[in-house]
Formats: sequence, structure tokens, C-alpha cells
Amino acid sequence: MMTGVMSATLDDVSIQRAKSGDISALEDIYRAYEHMVYALARRICRAPEDAEDVLQETFLEVCRSIGTFRGTGHGSLTAWIKRIAASKALMRIRREKYRDTDELHEDTAPSRKGSDVALRMDLDAAINRLSDTARAVVWLHDVEGYTHGEIGAMMGKSVSFSKSQLARAHVRLRGWLGEEATA
Amino acid sequence: MTHLTMQQLLDVREPASSPGSQSARQHLGTCHVCQDELERSHQRTAQLKALPTLQAPRDLWPEIRSQVVAHRRRRRAAWGGVGGLALAASIALFLVLGGRPVAAPEEESSRAIGTAMAQSQMLETALGRYRPEGRVTDGRTATVVAGLETRIAEVDRQLQVAGMMRQRVRDEALLSLWRQRVGLMDALVNVHLTRATNAGL
Ligand SMILES: [Zn+2]
Repeated sequence: MMTGVMSATLDDVSIQRAKSGDISALEDIYRAYEHMVYALARRICRAPEDAEDVLQETFLEVCRSIGTFRGTGHGSLTAWIKRIAASKALMRIRREKYRDTDELHEDTAPSRKGSDVALRMDLDAAINRLSDTARAVVWLHDVEGYTHGEIGAMMGKSVSFSKSQLARAHVRLRGWLGEEATA
Repeated sequence: MTHLTMQQLLDVREPASSPGSQSARQHLGTCHVCQDELERSHQRTAQLKALPTLQAPRDLWPEIRSQVVAHRRRRRAAWGGVGGLALAASIALFLVLGGRPVAAPEEESSRAIGTAMAQSQMLETALGRYRPEGRVTDGRTATVVAGLETRIAEVDRQLQVAGMMRQRVRDEALLSLWRQRVGLMDALVNVHLTRATNAGL
């Protein structure tokens, strides 16, 4: 989620300074984007330690390769940093291979079972219960606004993989949130 | 009546819908069950967007900063060291090969690599004397310089990888990489010198 907490001093000049390697300009960028990157990483990785690692890896990459950043202004810098963060977070969940126990259930159609309604949990708990992949897809698509094409590319998967993961995530959330069944 | 699957419903929400979504839209126009389901999916997304932003528990900048600074120092030290070695190696090669009338192919490629390394080192030395980090840089030059620096760093990374390859493949890779590096270093020196000339006018 976008935090909107950006330093007012982070203009094109300071971005240029950062590109030439100025360490205090790089710190300005860190300050402007640490919240955005951590929040994204935390939603995808769940564990605070993993999110911290992603935050660190993201800014090491930002500092080392900001010279390759070709855009100007806040908007494109935000998109550039966010993409690095998303890639690092996805890399981490791939590496960690969390146990995806809920992958065992089948969910091609909305569940109408009473047992799901009985579960009723809040949204925070529900998204944390999703498999890593499904959670990452629903977050990147619904909250961060990435297209299925972009998500597929970042994950090294197809567009239809991203679409089916999103549908799967919505079916599960629907059940876990105890939304009224309409039969 | 068969209702839409979740994936069909979500497809309808996409800006560029697939061809199949045409019939899904038609169904949606007449089916209240699916309309409700679509509305619920919108609400779910809105709730996700409204979740609180999680804050980092501590400041990681000091760690990142020290790693960035260390990385730069290592890079400089490594290439100072290797560059010095390169020069020594190329002189040694010259001395060894100088007296022989015909060189074997491996020696040819070693000599070519040695030449490229020496050229790269000469340019590195020239740049070092000029001390670009102590000078004021305009934004456009900074962009060009940063781009070249990044590409040089990438070549350096590939050189490390190439160093671990088997002899024959390695020599070809090394020669090509060292020549790339010479080209990039040459461009970098030119950017700095051009700027210095303009500033001097
Ligand atoms: Zn229907």
C-alpha cells in the first residue's frame, strides 16, 4: 500500500545526486520509501524478520543500481523501487518454501459450505492464512495494482497462473471471512 | 443456470478483458446472484486496500549505509590490486613472449588479454589522477557517469564469474570482457575530460 509519506525535498536534483553516488541523497531516498517497501514486504512475506531482510536487500540494490534508473520524478522512482521490493519479496517466499498446507484444498467454485461461515476470521488473519503465492498475487494485483502480465513476469509464471491464483485467493478469503452464501 | 466462476467474475473487472468475458458480461447483466458476487469481490479488494500499513520496527539505514560504503571500497581496492597485477602480468608476458618468433594460440589470447588489461589499467590510472569524486558534477554528466559506472561494475562481476570457467572458454570470455571494459573506461574518461574542458572555457 502506498503510504504517501514522501520527503518533500526528494526532487529530481536529489535523485540525480543519488545517481552520482551521493550517500546522503541515497539516505533521503531510503527515508522516503522505507515504509512503502517494508509494508509491501511484510504483506508478502508475513514474518517481520523476512520483511526486514527484504527492506535491506531492496535498498542495497537501489544504492548499487540507481545509476541504471532512467526515469525522472517521484512517480517513476516509486514504481522502480516498488518493483525491486516486490521481486526481492517474491524471491524470498520462493526460497523459504513455507508449508502451503491450504494448497491441498480444491476451490474452483465459491464454497457454499456452512463450516466456512463458522470459521469467520478477520481480514488480516485471513490473508495470512493464504498460501505464499496466492497472498503475493492478491496483494500485488488488488492492492498494488500490478497486472497479471506483470505479476506473471515477476514470478516467472504465466498470465493464467496469476489469474487462477487470484481467483483461488478470493474464493478462500470469501469463505474465511464468512461472507453470506447466496444460493 | 450456471453462475460465473470466481475467475470469470474477476476477469470482468480487468481493464483489458479476455474474449470469453463477453458472454460473462451478458450473464452478469441478467443474474443478480453473480452481480452480488462481483460486488462482494470489489468490497473485498477495498478492504484489502484499507488494511493498516505495517511499519518497520527499526531503522536499517546504518547497516545499509555501511554495506554500501564497504562495497564501494572493496570494488576500488580489488580493481586497484588486480589492475596493478594486470600491468605486471602484461609486462611479464611481453618479456616472456618477446623473444619468440611464433606464439601458440593460448599465448596469443593471453597476450591479447594482457594488452586489454593493461589498457584498462592505464585508463583507470588516468582517471585516478583526475580524481573525479572531488569535483562538482552537473546532473547530465552525473547520469552518464553513473550509467557507465554501473556497466563497468557489471563487467567486473562477469569477469569474476569468467575467472572460474575452464581454460579455453575462459580465455575467450575474459578477452571479450576486458575489451568491453576498456571501451567503457575510455568512454568514462572521455566524459570526465569533456566536462573538464567545457568547465575550463
Ligand atoms: Zn449467475
